[in-house]
Amino acid sequence: MSSSSKPSKTTDPKDSAADKPKEPQKQALSLEEDDEFEDFPVEDWKESETDVQNPPGGRLWEESWDDDDTTEDFSTQLREELKKNPAK
Amino acid sequence: MTTLYKTFRRALTTKDGALLGSIFSPENPDRGTFAFSTNHERIRGDVEYEISGLTPLRDENTRAAWIDTLVCYWKIAYILERDDGADVSWAKAYEGQKDLLLVMVRGYTKGNWPHWTLPVMYQICLSLRTVAILSDDQARRLGKASEHLEDAARYINKAFTLCISDRAPIEESRKWGTYYIVNLMFKTYFKLNSVGLAKNILRVLPASLADMPPLEAFPKSHIVTFKYYCGVVSFLEEDYGNAQAHLTYALNHCKADSIRNKELILTYLIPTTMLTKHKLPTLELLSRFPRLATLFNPVCKTIKSGNLQAFDAALRHGEEEFVKRRIYLTLERTKDIAMRNLFRKVVLYQNEESRTKIPVRQFQIAMGLEADGDTVMRSTPERVEVEIEEVECLLANMIYKGLMKGYISRERQTVVLSGKEPFPGTVV
Repeated sequence: MSSSSKPSKTTDPKDSAADKPKEPQKQALSLEEDDEFEDFPVEDWKESETDVQNPPGGRLWEESWDDDDTTEDFSTQLREELKKNPAK
Repeated sequence: MTTLYKTFRRALTTKDGALLGSIFSPENPDRGTFAFSTNHERIRGDVEYEISGLTPLRDENTRAAWIDTLVCYWKIAYILERDDGADVSWAKAYEGQKDLLLVMVRGYTKGNWPHWTLPVMYQICLSLRTVAILSDDQARRLGKASEHLEDAARYINKAFTLCISDRAPIEESRKWGTYYIVNLMFKTYFKLNSVGLAKNILRVLPASLADMPPLEAFPKSHIVTFKYYCGVVSFLEEDYGNAQAHLTYALNHCKADSIRNKELILTYLIPTTMLTKHKLPTLELLSRFPRLATLFNPVCKTIKSGNLQAFDAALRHGEEEFVKRRIYLTLERTKDIAMRNLFRKVVLYQNEESRTKIPVRQFQIAMGLEADGDTVMRSTPERVEVEIEEVECLLANMIYKGLMKGYISRERQTVVLSGKEPFPGTVV
């Protein structure tokens, strides 16, 4: 598609979202141009040109909840707080 | 002879649909010379002369439709290339594109244009939409009403009807153009912010699909785009099961190097999967898409740790972006998983022997734990005291939703957990 139709409005989420997330006029729900599914450069491709045939490394979804870091601050704090009020 | 005519003659003789369609593309480099090749008085005569003697145009109706089409296209080229120098009137160009589309419709209905010319239909619809958007932008700048894109949607709908109503045998049917045109309608409705109209297509479509070839028979670009929009519509309707199926299909068939499109698919597939399967995206996945990492990492991290205060903060922090992508409400619901993880930790951190009977007070402490130390957000460091009744209510809710197995003994202010898999699916 002609690039001229795209407003140069690739809003940097960092500077707009940082301070005032609730600014009312920003609530316009219209999908920005950069949200539109892009036209593919070719019409068709082979199965072998998709990720399914060549997974680009690693799983998509976490399989377990147990690989979390128990030394992380929140877990440590939680453990301590719970100990102060032991379950008998 | 102007290049454009040469291209036309060659495309028609060799039945090269893509080449024929490229003539009507907004990016056709030959448009300029075509525009300057003649004037309003002589254009029709020129076209008649330049395309004479072509065997595929022996049929008088076919020939007439092509002459009209090229004359119409020349008028647009004139507006875009010659009219008033730099100051193009997109509104005028839009009227020209609309005429072109109507002439094209006649080409198919009266002019016997064969199905291999479908790229012509694609390009004419695509141009109509592009010019409508430019015209609306221009109108807005001038403080005028901007209604051309909405109008364009109605005209693209005519092309849709042309496709689905074709009775020709399937191998030479315009039905092969259905998904391309539907995708263009989806894009247009989303741009107009009319998700309701997008849903309408999905209601109408099944009736027309009865004698259509299976999805796999269509070009992948048509199908992946179609599945993406089906997925987003289902997502917005909170039909997460279907959203999951459509978006997974789109992702699996997407061209591997189309990073931006995969990113868009995942923008909806990630919250969907979090909600339906209680699964988070892996760090490997997010690291391949920096934008998605920025978008989802803070929330995912707090879900994983069970830090409810930090979860709320992460949601607030990303609110504007989440609302813009229409994923805010879905993400908000994933708080259940954060809470499940928090409660699960409460259980895990008890002594081995007291893991099935836990005072509600323990869950209360966990819920009120301050966000201090968790690096995601420090905006709400104050400790939040949660009423014991509220904690009970949330526990009951977890149990009701099947995220926890057990019951609450109110007399003893204790949660009695199932000895087997108190948190189904989490290996605890």
